Amino acid sequence: MGYAAARGGLDAIEAAEQLVRLKRMASPSAWVDRDQIVGRLRLAVDRVMGEGGVWDEDLAAVAIRQSEGDLIEAVHLLRSFRSTLPRFAYGTDVDADELRVIRRIVPAFRNPPGPQLLGRTSDYTSRLLELTDESLAREEAEKLQTQLWADQLDEDAPSAASQEHQQPRRLLETLRDMNLMVDRRRTDDPDPFDITRSPARPPAPRSARLSSMARAETGALVNQWYRNILGPDGYLHEVTLGEVRHGYLPVRVSHPITGNPVHVGDVRVTEVEAIEDLNGIDEDRDRFDVGYGLCFGHNEKKAIAMANLDIACHRDGGQTQVEQSLLLTTDGLDSSGFLEHLKLPHYVTFRSMMERKMAVRNAKQKSASDDKGTSK
Amino acid sequence: MTTLLSQLLDETVGDTSDVPFALLDEYSKREIRRAILTAVAVPGYQVPFGSREMPVARGWGSGGLQVTLGVVGPLDTIKVIDQGDDQGVNAVNLRRLIVSSTGIPETTVAAESTIVQTRHRIPEDGLDTEHILVLQVPVPEPLRGVERDMRELARMHAEADYSKMWVSLYEDKVRNGVITQSTGYPCLVNNRYVIATTPIPRWDIPKLDNAPFLSLFGAGREKRIYAVPPHTKVEPLTFDDVPFEVEQTSGATCFRCTSSSSFLVEIPGAVSRWVCSDTDWCERHEGGLK
Repeated sequence: MGYAAARGGLDAIEAAEQLVRLKRMASPSAWVDRDQIVGRLRLAVDRVMGEGGVWDEDLAAVAIRQSEGDLIEAVHLLRSFRSTLPRFAYGTDVDADELRVIRRIVPAFRNPPGPQLLGRTSDYTSRLLELTDESLAREEAEKLQTQLWADQLDEDAPSAASQEHQQPRRLLETLRDMNLMVDRRRTDDPDPFDITRSPARPPAPRSARLSSMARAETGALVNQWYRNILGPDGYLHEVTLGEVRHGYLPVRVSHPITGNPVHVGDVRVTEVEAIEDLNGIDEDRDRFDVGYGLCFGHNEKKAIAMANLDIACHRDGGQTQVEQSLLLTTDGLDSSGFLEHLKLPHYVTFRSMMERKMAVRNAKQKSASDDKGTSK
Repeated sequence: MTTLLSQLLDETVGDTSDVPFALLDEYSKREIRRAILTAVAVPGYQVPFGSREMPVARGWGSGGLQVTLGVVGPLDTIKVIDQGDDQGVNAVNLRRLIVSSTGIPETTVAAESTIVQTRHRIPEDGLDTEHILVLQVPVPEPLRGVERDMRELARMHAEADYSKMWVSLYEDKVRNGVITQSTGYPCLVNNRYVIATTPIPRWDIPKLDNAPFLSLFGAGREKRIYAVPPHTKVEPLTFDDVPFEVEQTSGATCFRCTSSSSFLVEIPGAVSRWVCSDTDWCERHEGGLK
């Protein structure tokens, strides 16, 4: 009967699960090891760690494999796994000046203080599909592997570069020395807003906006930026980038007994400082301001969008709903989960809507016949 | 450690002995319970909570699931329905998750349960003082249709300023001859807060009023929990001269159990047929209660 068709039941769910699992597990292709995903799908792993809010390449690789490359799904797996873990400790504050750079560019000056270090980027590589013969490609890969480890060409290997080269002074410092920056630094050092423990709603502290954007879905943030450029919003103004950095930051926790900070590892982050030309009527017209972006892994489009949106939100000062957009519409799990929920059965609500359609129709008919009655 | 963790992630069907009772870690459950206590103390007020990411997607009952996992104990019995149906695919999936992470028994009979998690229906019968009804909430904000700015929404609730809502209901009535709000009808709780009644049909609204059971509303994506405690006034917003109407189709009866006193959904056809949305109630009715 038609009634049964609307009902799935356990058998159908299990059968669907089996179909998913079967293709994934029993594909005739070679098994993909976690280290292959970590080593060869590097940017996907970075993105999943960033949006998942978990720094663990191995877990991200497992999630990507299980989700068959659907990165939002992978982020979901990672985040829901995180929900089962208690939080034992908070890291101590880390000064972003401690970032050990493996890439650093300053578009605002030709010769900024410190290095212009192009590092690992495909920005200037022609986007040509490499249709190299498979066996030749393999051969090259193996040769390079041997060479890499023999010569220590790896960008991540400890470098002999000077302190200044590894931890260059920020352009921001120079601009501050020149009295060109609005100084918004605060001295009270409040604890950052923890978006995983309290829902952030406008008006929220800047740390809530920054952490929401750091975990946001990359595409959502890029779109927020672009719809302000070409779409209906127009809250933001294109910035000049003062810093684009990719490198390592130390993570420290307080030792539970001695209370001393203990270095427990490093995370790789992308950091961006966006210099904003204050051009509003009431703004400081002889100075610049700065927006900040930082996210896990190598994800420059996200960090740039974040930095530009950070300063845009500050300049907006609560006049529009741009803060609400950033806090509430950029999470990949929220948006895609809610979108996909439309696939769930909705026949109770639909029945109720149909009933109201009939009620409106009856009311119209009644009012029409009443009118007729009156005009007679 | 990593091997263990990845096995956990990779084995969707497998040993779950490493997962805590009711899935969430104890700190998260404590946080949820505290939010629930606040919600019960201030009926209808939307209490913010941390809302964890769950193994089900946001929008798929993640809020209701957190509430259930927050209150469930080893002596509970769970019933889960979606659109009134215990066998709806998402109900089955959520029940499976609750049962496998707690080991508690399941039932389809509301009276035999202690917790009923539901999407968009209240069981036709069987809920009493010993029951907790957990409603999955997609949109907890009843005023969103009349106001988008969250800062303004916060002010409106704080000051019980529901004038925009009243104007919207009035305009609806004037333009359309009836109030066209179908499900999730806005209700005033305990003479103070207006709530979104998930989207349960209007049919179920009278069951919330002065109910013997505790109703907990969980919105995972929007990170809000609110409650209607037992014996609390729940009043649909309407005008003195416009009676609140529940869904009724004259002459419709369930083709299975012949009931005309339950919420019926339509099976469209040349001649439409009707059937109870509460499948358990329908089966018991068919079995001789009628």
